[in-house]
Formats: sequence, C-alpha cells, structure tokens
Amino acid sequence: MLPLMASIVVSLIPGSQTKAIRNVTLVASGISAALSLVAFCSFQFDDGLQFETKWVWVESLGLNFHLGADGINIGIIFMAALVSFSAVCCANDISHRIKEFYILLNIMIGGVLGAFASMDVFFFYFFHELALVPTFIMIGVWGRGETRNYAAYKITLYLSLGALLALIGLIGVYVQVDADSFSIPDLITKVKTQSIDESAQQWIFPLLMFGFGILVSLWPFHTWAPLGYGTAPTATAMLHAGVLKKFGLYGLIRIAIPMAPIGAQYWLGILAWLALANLLFCGLVAVRQKDLNLLIGNSSVAHMGFIFLGIASLNIIGLTGAVLVMIAHGLLAALAFGLSGHLYQQNGSLDMSNMGGLLRKMPLAGTALLMAMMAGCGLPGFANFAGEITIFFAAWSAGFKVITVIAAWSALVIGGLYMLRAIRNVLHGPQRDDWENSKDTSPLVSTAFGLLLALLLVFGFAPSLLTKGIEIEVKKIVHLVNSEIGESKQLDVVVR
Amino acid sequence: MELAAWLILLLPLISSGLIGIGAFRSKSVSAGFSISAVMGSFILSLAMIANVETLHTSVNWLSIEGLNFDIGLQIDKLSKLMLCVVTGVGSLIHVFSLGYMKDDKDFSRYFGFLSLFIFSMLGIVLADNFVMMFIFWELVGVSSYLLIGFWFEKPSAADAAKKAFLTNRVGDFGFLIGILMVWMLFNTVSFSELQYILQKEDAVMLSGLAGFLIFCGAMGKSAQAPLHVWLPDAMEGPTPVSALIHAATMVAAGVYMLCRVFFLIEGTWAMEVIAWIGGVTALMAALMAVQQDDIKRILAYSTLSQLGYMVMVVGLGGDHDEHYAITGVSGTDAAMFHLTTHAFFKAMLFLGAGSVIYACHHEQDIWKMGGLRRRMPRTYWTFLIGTLALCGVPLFSGFFSKEAILVVAFKESIPLFLIAFAVAILTTFYMTRLFIVAFNGDARSDHSKHAKESPNVMTLPLLFLAVPSVIAGYFNMHEPDPIILLASIIAVVVGALVSRSLYQNADKDPLPERFGFIAKAMNQRFWFDELYQWLIENLQENLAKITDSADRWLIAGMLVRGAHGTTELFGRVLRLAQTGNLQTYAFWFTAGLVVVLIYALR
Repeated sequence: MLPLMASIVVSLIPGSQTKAIRNVTLVASGISAALSLVAFCSFQFDDGLQFETKWVWVESLGLNFHLGADGINIGIIFMAALVSFSAVCCANDISHRIKEFYILLNIMIGGVLGAFASMDVFFFYFFHELALVPTFIMIGVWGRGETRNYAAYKITLYLSLGALLALIGLIGVYVQVDADSFSIPDLITKVKTQSIDESAQQWIFPLLMFGFGILVSLWPFHTWAPLGYGTAPTATAMLHAGVLKKFGLYGLIRIAIPMAPIGAQYWLGILAWLALANLLFCGLVAVRQKDLNLLIGNSSVAHMGFIFLGIASLNIIGLTGAVLVMIAHGLLAALAFGLSGHLYQQNGSLDMSNMGGLLRKMPLAGTALLMAMMAGCGLPGFANFAGEITIFFAAWSAGFKVITVIAAWSALVIGGLYMLRAIRNVLHGPQRDDWENSKDTSPLVSTAFGLLLALLLVFGFAPSLLTKGIEIEVKKIVHLVNSEIGESKQLDVVVR
Repeated sequence: MELAAWLILLLPLISSGLIGIGAFRSKSVSAGFSISAVMGSFILSLAMIANVETLHTSVNWLSIEGLNFDIGLQIDKLSKLMLCVVTGVGSLIHVFSLGYMKDDKDFSRYFGFLSLFIFSMLGIVLADNFVMMFIFWELVGVSSYLLIGFWFEKPSAADAAKKAFLTNRVGDFGFLIGILMVWMLFNTVSFSELQYILQKEDAVMLSGLAGFLIFCGAMGKSAQAPLHVWLPDAMEGPTPVSALIHAATMVAAGVYMLCRVFFLIEGTWAMEVIAWIGGVTALMAALMAVQQDDIKRILAYSTLSQLGYMVMVVGLGGDHDEHYAITGVSGTDAAMFHLTTHAFFKAMLFLGAGSVIYACHHEQDIWKMGGLRRRMPRTYWTFLIGTLALCGVPLFSGFFSKEAILVVAFKESIPLFLIAFAVAILTTFYMTRLFIVAFNGDARSDHSKHAKESPNVMTLPLLFLAVPSVIAGYFNMHEPDPIILLASIIAVVVGALVSRSLYQNADKDPLPERFGFIAKAMNQRFWFDELYQWLIENLQENLAKITDSADRWLIAGMLVRGAHGTTELFGRVLRLAQTGNLQTYAFWFTAGLVVVLIYALR
C-alpha cells in the first residue's frame, strides 16, 4: 500500500535534473493510485480488516507498525492516492527549489496515505505529523503573496495546538484503558469489556473533539484554513484540503467515538451547533469573498459542517454519510484548488472582479470549474449530493430538526448563492483584457481533473460502491455506542 | 417493456453524454444524436400508451440501514400522458432549433444541454419516490440554468440564469424539508407506499404542513407567486428553450408533481393555500402581461397566469369521485388537461414568436413589428390558432380545458371563480393586443418591412403543433355546463372587443395615458423585482457583511490575535522579571518566602 516511501528515497538521488524528479514522483504516485484502485476493486465488503501488514516495533510498549484497510478507510485511501496523483500532476507551477519541493511533496503524500492506513494509534499520529510538517514549510517557502509568512505561522500554531490537544486525549485514552497495545482494534476490544469510566470520558472526548476539530477547521477555530489555502502552493492546498484535513474527522469516527461513547453523548449536541455555525457562518463569509481562492477555502470550511453534523447525529446513516462526504469533498476540494491554481498561474491574480468570460477562453478548465462549483452546491449526480442528503436525513432523525432546517437553507440557498456568483464572475460575462493570454489546461493537468471529476460522478451515480463497506464498519461503532448507553437513551434511527 | 421504460429515460442521457465526450466537434452528429434520442423516447412513450397499463420497476441507488433510496420508474395514466407531452413537444422543438440555432457557434453544446434537460425532465415524470423526484428536480434546475445562460457572455443572460437557479433553490429548500417531514411521519418516501398508508390512516396533523412545504418546490418550478420573478427573466435564453422549458415542460413540472402527490395534500389546509396562491398568481400575471411590449415577455406572463390556473384548480380539489365523468371534474384531471393543451399551444406560440424574432433580426418589441400577415403566412396562421386556443375560443383545445377549470372553480369557490373569470377576460385582451400589434397593420420598422418567412425546418414544427392545439380538447370532453359555457364565451368576446377597439391601427399603447399609475405598476411588474433586490441588498448582503467582518475582526482579529497578543504581553511581563540581575532574583525570592511564611503562620 505504500510504494511512496520508496519514492522519497528515489527523489533524494537526482540533483538538479528537474524533469527526472518530476517524472519519478509522477510515476510513483501514479503507481500508488493504480494499486489503490486495485485494492479498492478487490476489497471484500464483509471481511473486516484486509491488506494487513504488521511489524512489531517496540514490543514492551505494544507499538506495532500495523497497516490495513476496512470499509471506512479503503475509500479514503483510494481517494487519497488519486488526489495525490493529481496533486503531483498540478505541481508544475513550482519554479524554484524544485528538488526540495518534490521531496517534501513526497513526504507529505507518504504521510497522508500512511495516516489513513494505520491501524495503530502511534503510527496514525506519527504519519499525520509527518505530512503536516512539510505543509508548513511548503506554505512558507513556495507560498503566494505577501501574507505567506503570516499564513504559515498561523497554520502552524493552529494545527500544532489541535494536534497537541488530540495527543493529550489519545494519551488519556491509553492510560485510562490501561492498554498494553496501541493497536486500534485491540483498544476497541478492550473498551468493549471494560469501558473507561464516565468522568474520564467526559474530559477525554472534548479534548479529542476540539483537538481533531481544530485540524478540520471546526468553527470558531477555522480562520487558518481559507488563509492557509489561499497562500499555499497548488499541490499543497490540494493535498491538505482534500485529504490531510480529513484526518481529524477520521480520528473522531475511528477513535474518539468508540473510546468515549458516553462523553460523546454529552458533547455531540454542541458539535452539532458548531457544525451549523460552520455551514451557515462560513457560507455567509464565502458570499462576501472577492478572491476565488478565499471563496473556495471558505466553502470548503463550510462543507466540513456537513461532516460534523453527520458525526454529531451518531447513527448509522449519519456516520455513513459523513464518510461519504469526506471522500466526495476530498475529490472536490482537490479539483477546486487545482483549478484555481491553474487560473492563478495564468495571470497571477484571482480577484474575481477582474475576471469574466473564461469559459470561452479555456473551455476545458472552465467546464471543469463549472462542474466543480455545481458539485459544491450539492447537485445530484455528484458524490457530494449523496452524502449531504444522507446527512440531512440522519440529522433529522437524530432530533436536530432546527439545525437541519437551517443547514438545508445554508446548503441549498447560501451555497448556491456563492457558487453561482463565482460562476457568474469568473466564467460568464464578457471577457476581460487581462486574461487575453491565458491558456487552457495542459493534457496532463486535464487528465488529473478529468480523473477527479469522473470519480465524483461515479460515486454520485453509484454511492453504494462506497456505502456498503462503510455501513458495515460504522454499524460496529454505533452498536458499541448503543450498548454503552444501554436502555437510557436509545438512538432510534427510525423515528415514527 | 421494462427495458423500454429505462430507455425512455436513458436515451437523452446517453446522447448528452456522447455529445459531451466528443461528438461536439461535429454539428450534424450532435444534433443527430440529440434529435434521435428524444424521438426515440417519444416513440417508446407511444408504445407504452399502446401496450402497457401500469408498470413499476426500480433499482437501488443508496441504501443504509433505516434509509432506502431507489431510482424507480412508475408508469401509469398520469406519467404516460406527461411522457408524451414532454417527448412529443420536445421532439418538435429540437427540430425547430435546427433552424433557429443554425449559425450559432455553440450549436453542439446547445443540443447537449437540450438532451440533458429532456433526461432530467423525464426523470421527474417517471419518478416513483420523493427523493428521486428531488434529484431530478435539481437536475432540471441546473439544465435550465445552463440553457437560460446559454449565451453566457451576455451579462443579462448570465444574471437571468443565476436568478432562475437561486429562486428555484429557495423553493427546493421547502421541498427538501417537506420530504424530510414526510419521511419522519410515514417512514417512507415511496409514492405507492405513502398512498397505501394514507388510505388506511387518517391524515396526520402535520401532513398539511408537509404538503405545503412540498408545494414550495412546485412554487419554484412552476413560478407561482411570490417565487415567480425568475420566469420572465428566463426569456434571455434562446427562444426554442423558452418554448420547451418555460412553456411546455419544466414549469409544468410543479403542476405535475402536485397531481402526483395529490393524495398527500388531499383534505388538508394546504389545499386552500395552494388554490389561493394559484388564483393570485393567475390574476397578477395576467395584469402584468397587459402592459408588456416584448413579445416573449407577454407570452411569459401569460404562461405564469395559465400555470396559476392549473395550480389553483389542483388546490380546489373538485370531485374526486370514481365516476367523475358524470358527476363533475376532478381538480387534478382539469389541471392535467389544461397542462396538456397549454403545452401544445404555448409551445407553438413561443416557436411562432421565435420565427418572428428570427425573421425580424432579433427584434422583440411588438411595437416595432406589424404587417407580418402577408410576409409570413405560415407563422401568421399558426400564431392565430395558438392565440385562439389560449383565449379559449370555442372549438379550440384551450376552450375545453379552460372550461373544465371554470367548472371546478364554480363548484368549489365563488371568489376564485370570479378571479378565474377576470383572468379569462384579461387573457383574451392581452393576446388580442399582441396579435393585432405584432401582425396586423403596417410595418413599423425596417426589420419587419423586410421580414421573410422562416425556413421549413422552423415552420413545419409549427404546423405539427397546430394540429393538437385545435383537436386536443376533443379527447377529454364532458357534458358542458350551460352557465360556464356562457361565461367563457362572454369572457372571450368582451376581451377581444375591448382590445380591438383600443389597438386597431394604434401606433403606440394608449393605456399608459389613460390609467397612468396602474399601467405603470403593471409594466413594472408591481415592483416585485425591486422589492427582492432591496431585500437581498439589505438583508442578505448585510448579514454576509456582518459575518464576514465578525470572521475577520472578531474571530481572526480579537480572539486569535488577542490570544497571540496576551501571550506576548505575558512574555513581556515575565521578561521584566527575568532581568538576569542576581539581586533582583534574590529580592523576588525573599519576597516570595515572606508571602509563604505569612500564609503558613496565619
């Protein structure tokens, strides 16, 4: 599952031969994307954990290098590998210190894939940090505009804080469970027989929730995201917004909820309101943006609200929908940032008031952007819609009725408003002179965008490709939670 | 037969996919794909009518424990009728477009979008559950967005497309909440299961609210007040699009949906609301139509008004007796009847307008036309038939369907009947005005002086549409009610005579001088657009501004920089303490010791 570790080594070798570096990286990420496709296709839905690799590392502490895939992360890994490949395709805009950039990019890709494949808390966390550090450096060194240092600084502080909180939470779990292993499946079996006592759960869960939440730009800890993505180089923004950001959500589903189900009960109500704030508040902020990248960044933060809402509803439908949106949004965010990166490359500006009529000038990129925007405002046919409508049903049945109503308003009307404004300003209308010399996407980049779009459409037309596997795993988590809570508060999926 | 049903739905999708993937390089190939797809669907729909009573088939789309979304096709009397209207009128409009869009550089893109639209519309018609209907509802919204904004480089077209999509989205919001509510109440979204449950149980308290929310979706698509503002602006699209989407199919989707889910709203308070919204829309739009000068806008307002008719009659309910043919007419039947006849003659009127616009080099102001009778005989005569049918002149199709509506209104609610009667007079009035000004008299501009009849590819569809516009009424006749018969004849005669006396040989509109303010209000569409503009600017924009500045200054500024600032402040304070001077440290050490001692000794 991880040929990319090898590619790091490979790209260390050639010196200034930029072309070779590019091609090696491209081939490596291409192979890993192809392998992940094979894995995704040969995955058996009801067989639990598959493609396992396990090496004992530190026996006394129970540290194992343990990789594997089940229904939840197989889709995410597939998405991650594909996004990585397209990020590499779009990395041509880097013009100085090319070697260093590609080394960091490779490390980041390796970290991203590793984090989602890890079945061991230690490596889960380690790979995430491995991917995070290059992000900071890439924004600081290769970022755009004057604010890049501030952005790098801010994103570092925020994400370190989030990671730190999550780390404390994780250590809390480890200590409280009295575990002899860091392996996630082991921890879960342990918790099943002897759960963490209630008071401890009540402080562990919020630590994990806010820690992971900050990593995913939970309101009001979201301001790093639009700014960071606005200044990050294209490939970095694609990878971070698309994949790495989902780490926090994945952690919430994989670790926080199964480990502290009672704590989750107390805190998920709050999470639902924060999710709504993400959707509504950041949606409204997105309406006001004049810079295309900031608009996409804010809308991406707003979309996190769906996933939080799905998690907060804590039922099978909601968690399944949440994972579905995670995958869909990963593809979409990568596509949107890739496109805005392409536009930036043409003219060095993304001020929407100076754009217009680009659909005529660059039909391929324009059409892709149009479709991305439509997917972003939840058009059926794209995977996002399938996840979002599932989450609406889940949140409604979980009793968050008011939240659902406002969330639907934010999604349908406000989401439509900013996306259509962007289309109107960027693609429609008369053409501007500044964009006279802009070119359409190159074949390589077009392939990347085409792949992302194709996958969005495939999962939009047949979401059950993903949901079948997700549902089986999610059921285990929800049953775990329900048996914990017992009779006191049954989470009735079917409200009648 | 199941395969055929799927093919009806999928043919246009395949065509639009093929055009999108590569066929757009050749004009004739993409037009060929698109036209053969819609005609194939049409032939298959006819086969359905001939061979199948009812048919139901479905595949699973998304299924999670407790939640099950199917994509299912439901073919019954209602959907068979609608299928034929959509694909039949659609086919003719495709052919007409061949001529109208001949010189457009994006000819292939146009046909790709057209196929996409037909696919989405057929999805609504065939849907067997709410979620599937919602999916295609949204798809219709987006394909209409693409078609309205087809000439996207024109700012007005791009704005109109945006407006249409967003207004529809507001309606869809209600629709979605309504679906959630139905699901909560009955734990299913399938039409047949819902109908089964509702037959057994009495209406639940909330189902009126659910019905009303679902009607919100229809309000958006069928452009009922107060969500009607997008339809007149949508005339920015190419004229065949206006004929297809904004006369025959998409706007009828709302009415169709109401008929489809009638069992849900039946007997609840939502009915009354629906009837009044329909009635008010019909009246208001008819008044607005009186003072428009753009040939397409007059037709657009007339469409609004006729849709209001249909919605009103669904809301009135009428006789839903098994033997309605004897005892009376049911509201849904009357609505579907009028929908069908209206689809034929309104599509013909729009295509006729398109032909005129084409001949007059894209001149749309009726006061700059005139004298077209001899120059464009085919368009002239078909337009005349359309006008007669729309006005409800006896023996034309519109007469029968309008009469059915009036019968129901007369039985159920006298105030609404009076409104409907007034609308009938107004309809004849503005259509006569349009016809006299645009076609009769002398040519009032160079364009109309040199107008030539459009090519066959455009006039033949007109002739084809003229046939059902005349005879469609005879398929669904019932015994006429003498009072209603008299009323509708009076409406036609009064409207036509008044209009004739005002506009025969007129060079400009005499109404603004006689009724200054009222005419202006009609012309300005009762300032709805201005009101919404104001609301958007003052509410939506300010809200967005407030959140944006809160985000920028409060969260990013005060809290984040504040946290940063306080940290730094602490740092500075501590730096003061940490001077590196041994004496200072000794002083603090002693001071601390003293404090501890005092505390300990107390």
